[in-house]
Amino acid sequence: MRARDNPFAVRRVHAIRYRLSGVTWEELLERLATLGFRAALVGPHGHGKTTLLEDLGARLAERGFQIRTATLRQGERWLGPARSAALFRDPDPRDLLLVDGAEQLDPLSWWTLRLRSRGAAGLIITSHRPGLLPTLHEHRTTPELLAGIVTDLEGTADEGEIAELFARHRGDLRLALRELYDVRSRGVS
Amino acid sequence: MEWIRIETRDGVTAFLPGETVEGTVGWHFDAPARSVEVRLLWYTEGKGDQDVGVVASVPLANPGADEIRPFQIRLPAGPYSFSGRLISLVWALEAVAEPGSRAERLPITVSPTRQEILLSSGASLAGPG
Repeated sequence: MRARDNPFAVRRVHAIRYRLSGVTWEELLERLATLGFRAALVGPHGHGKTTLLEDLGARLAERGFQIRTATLRQGERWLGPARSAALFRDPDPRDLLLVDGAEQLDPLSWWTLRLRSRGAAGLIITSHRPGLLPTLHEHRTTPELLAGIVTDLEGTADEGEIAELFARHRGDLRLALRELYDVRSRGVS
Repeated sequence: MEWIRIETRDGVTAFLPGETVEGTVGWHFDAPARSVEVRLLWYTEGKGDQDVGVVASVPLANPGADEIRPFQIRLPAGPYSFSGRLISLVWALEAVAEPGSRAERLPITVSPTRQEILLSSGASLAGPG
């Protein structure tokens, strides 16, 4: 199978948006407002925190906030000049800062982020653990969620394959979808 | 309804490296666009994050609200269009109008055979030089 035809190519996977369960977008946004727009999206690797952060940012932008984002890759412990500029250059009271991977910041960098974000409208982070900011939403994936995503990408989902993948990757949808890429690329369906 | 479209002459979408692509860009907007340009780009698809490279762009002077304009772009010598299991490299023509980044993309094939190189076939991807 050609890479561009693979239903699990990264571009197609990234086009899948977050599926809220047990709460509506309006309820989530209301809860965020009661938290003063300072909150954390909490969950393990590959459970959709980044996708939710992006989708939340889009909805907040529709409501008039100016979204500024920074993403820390694995092992990065500070923002650095480029990300700091993206978050703090020419600040505006409508700025809402979204920081993906904030739990990796060393204590000084985290303290600095909180201090410098005080003039902004809010700060939303993703984190693998609770406690940095009030938890807005805690992510838990399910086999049904994986099945729904696979169906969207491929048109169908095999229950047995999904259950096995979900268990093997302990709910990490990113890894499960990567494995499906490899499987399909070898021509196995 | 607003739209923008890009077409190649005679609908041809397979080309040789170095060939000149001719086509037209048409659009209909509620108000004159600030800018309209045609871009030649490649992008990757597959297991890794998508990469994009804009190789050439042709701005169309003084765009109105409702027009059809011809364009010409010379294709480079490489890389060729190819697909493997992990990655595909796709060439495309794209018409983009501002404001609003309204765009339409037309995939094309660029290779010495006018067909996408399939890596599993063992064919060489190297361009000249």
